[in-house]
Amino acid sequence: MKEWFKKGEHWIWFSASTVSISVVLVFGLLGMIAWKGLIHFWPHAVYHIEVQHQSGQQEVIVGELHDTKMKQVEDNTAPHGSREVPQYLFKIGNRDVYGIDFRWVSSEDMVGGVERLEKDVVVIERYEYGNVYGHIESVKLNGQVEYNPHKALEMLAEQVEKGSALHSEIHHLEKIEIGAINYKIEGLRLEEKRLRANNDFDAKAEARLAAERAELQKEFDTLHQAVQVLYQQAESTGEVTLRIAGERTLNVPVNKIVSFWQPNNMTTAESIGFFFSNIGKFMWDEPREANTEGGVFPAIIGTVTMVMLMAIFVTPMGVIAAIYMSEYAKEGVLLRMVRISINNLAGVPSIVFGIFGLGFFVYILGSSIDELFYSYALPSPTFGTPGLLWASLTMALLTLPVVIVSTQEGLSRVPRALREGGLALGATKSETIMRIVLPMTMPAIMTGLILAIARAAGEVAPLMLVGVVKLAPELPLDMVAPFVHLDRKFMHLGFHIYDVGFQSPNVEASQPLVYATSLLLVLIILGLNLGAITIRNRLREKYKSLDH
Amino acid sequence: MSEQNISVALDRDIRGLSLADEKVAIEVKDWNLYYGSKQALKSINMVVPENRVTAFIGPSGCGKSTLLRCFNRMNDLIDIVNVKGCMTLHGDDMYAKEMNVASLRRRVGMVFQKPNPFPKSIYENVAYGLRLQGINDKTTLDETVEWALKGAGLWDEVKDRLNENALGMSGGQQQRLCIARAIAIKPEVLLLDEPTSALDPISTLAIEELIFELKKEFTILIVTHNMQQAARVSDYTAFMYMGELIEYTDTDTLFTNPQMKRTEDYITGRYG
Repeated sequence: MKEWFKKGEHWIWFSASTVSISVVLVFGLLGMIAWKGLIHFWPHAVYHIEVQHQSGQQEVIVGELHDTKMKQVEDNTAPHGSREVPQYLFKIGNRDVYGIDFRWVSSEDMVGGVERLEKDVVVIERYEYGNVYGHIESVKLNGQVEYNPHKALEMLAEQVEKGSALHSEIHHLEKIEIGAINYKIEGLRLEEKRLRANNDFDAKAEARLAAERAELQKEFDTLHQAVQVLYQQAESTGEVTLRIAGERTLNVPVNKIVSFWQPNNMTTAESIGFFFSNIGKFMWDEPREANTEGGVFPAIIGTVTMVMLMAIFVTPMGVIAAIYMSEYAKEGVLLRMVRISINNLAGVPSIVFGIFGLGFFVYILGSSIDELFYSYALPSPTFGTPGLLWASLTMALLTLPVVIVSTQEGLSRVPRALREGGLALGATKSETIMRIVLPMTMPAIMTGLILAIARAAGEVAPLMLVGVVKLAPELPLDMVAPFVHLDRKFMHLGFHIYDVGFQSPNVEASQPLVYATSLLLVLIILGLNLGAITIRNRLREKYKSLDH
Repeated sequence: MSEQNISVALDRDIRGLSLADEKVAIEVKDWNLYYGSKQALKSINMVVPENRVTAFIGPSGCGKSTLLRCFNRMNDLIDIVNVKGCMTLHGDDMYAKEMNVASLRRRVGMVFQKPNPFPKSIYENVAYGLRLQGINDKTTLDETVEWALKGAGLWDEVKDRLNENALGMSGGQQQRLCIARAIAIKPEVLLLDEPTSALDPISTLAIEELIFELKKEFTILIVTHNMQQAARVSDYTAFMYMGELIEYTDTDTLFTNPQMKRTEDYITGRYG
């Protein structure tokens, strides 16, 4: 043992143990988020329990078992004066009937245990009021009522498919087609305002605008009519009547149904299919019901667009600043102070950047831009309000030190011999930097960018001040020119987590979503980083034999 | 004192070579160089003959590389360096205010101690100097690259892999590539700063043969640690010691009949 200490083995073990602790923590974190998030997508079995209230009243509860907790209950007969009683959290759905859709039940109140319900229970996901749990009693279509359970189920499947096709068609027309026309009509309105402000609004312009407006109005009317027809079709897709817990019935019109499934009848393969289709929906759908249901697609788009724009802003800024500081600036007190400031900038709390972004970018820069270029639209601001541009610029500022520092390191690693080689061939200093030094610094620049992306994608606090909203009406990225709408507000996964987790009235429903969204955010950052790392490795490969 | 040496040397003519008969490529007059307050070159006077190989020998730290780097103003890059004196290239004052350093370096090419090819293809390495001058015409580039690689004795080895990364070549090939890169822009003078010190004997031999070929077209100055190399490749040799030019004459005389005691001590291996 003494020998063991003498050799210094204990230091190796000590340092190795800290590494393993870190690794365990990282994997533990990812594992927990993944487990809690992914379980949300797995089909939960529906249970049937009976509850005996103190008043003697009996009640039946049908729902998914979501959580089990132990509660300490005082009991003088027990050894420690208390004993543990399991508490079950059930998702009972049917919010329009019961008012709440989650319920804690103590095992002490239960008559019998938690037992699985017999087959054929149906879970219906609705656009509003959440899920319905019950048994199909009948399906009504065009005045005919089908009571045969098998036929009714088939009919329901068929109608729901029709209904969701109609729904997506309506959504497409309303959001994209009519949205584009509205955007153009708004453009015409602003153009008229601008012409009036410049005193250019003559008869000719008026006629032109009127003609264009009439054209758009005609398009709008056609689309509107089409949508109305679709709505009528959607309304005639029938209605399903369900028997729900407490011997009640509930009518659900088919056009309110997103999808339905029978969790207790599913085979493992079907469950896996359901799991993946749920993940797909989570990623590609828009949020519903105050973000506690549906997907997070707009937040994904918002996050990625913001990060990309940030990268576009921060890279040239950081690289050029680094080049000046390490290639041209004379060593001295001033340069040292600038260096210290940049390093300290990395330590400034992000919310401070948010305040700066709001105060400088939005209020000063944005308002000036509005006054100069968009004065006709005032008092409604165009850039003088939080939006995508300001958010990505604020983030660029936040991550600037990282890019500068790693670029400087990369510049200092380029061998002097290569610079001299360039200069000896008659290149000026700037030519040498552009053609020789900078390409070789690319891997280091990419490293800086990777760190910047990781930081920017995960940052929430400053974004809340400069452009992120709970629910954005439009995506910042679409098919209408100019495609990237820098003035729009956007959704962000980080803020989405905060909003769903802490601002949502339906705490129980939002909890798994918080985990799922966190997992998605981690994966997106990982994806963005992997992309950058791949590029960096390719560049490193190119210059790898340089150091020999 | 160096002036006296040269005049001594000029009187001697053993191999039929004499500095007095040569055309002058570079003329150095009373050249001094200071690193901050430390003087590294002391009152150097010499003429470098055209289309000849002139070697600089001397112990480490004697200032031979520093002097070589004065010929293409590479010392400009070091902030603390100050120079005094006059240096002309074919009559043009190299340190004149109106002299463009970049265009001077086009006239005076340089090959460094360690091969320093750019992390680009072999072709692009050689074409680099031309592209800098705005020459992007494919035929001109192709012709010049071929000419330069042939000139550097590398063409047959690399003609089938011109687009491969230059960093994949051997050290000796890389050094010849650097020579090709330097001669591609057709300089008047070529500076070689210990070009073989990082190479194996066979590559060294190849470079030495190359130097012999190249002097037909270029004025060559070479700094070397290796006295045998200086004796083999050069026409004229300058011995430097402690920042001073001790003796400068044709190579045969310097090695067989040195005039100065220090030169003799050095070439007979008594120090350095």
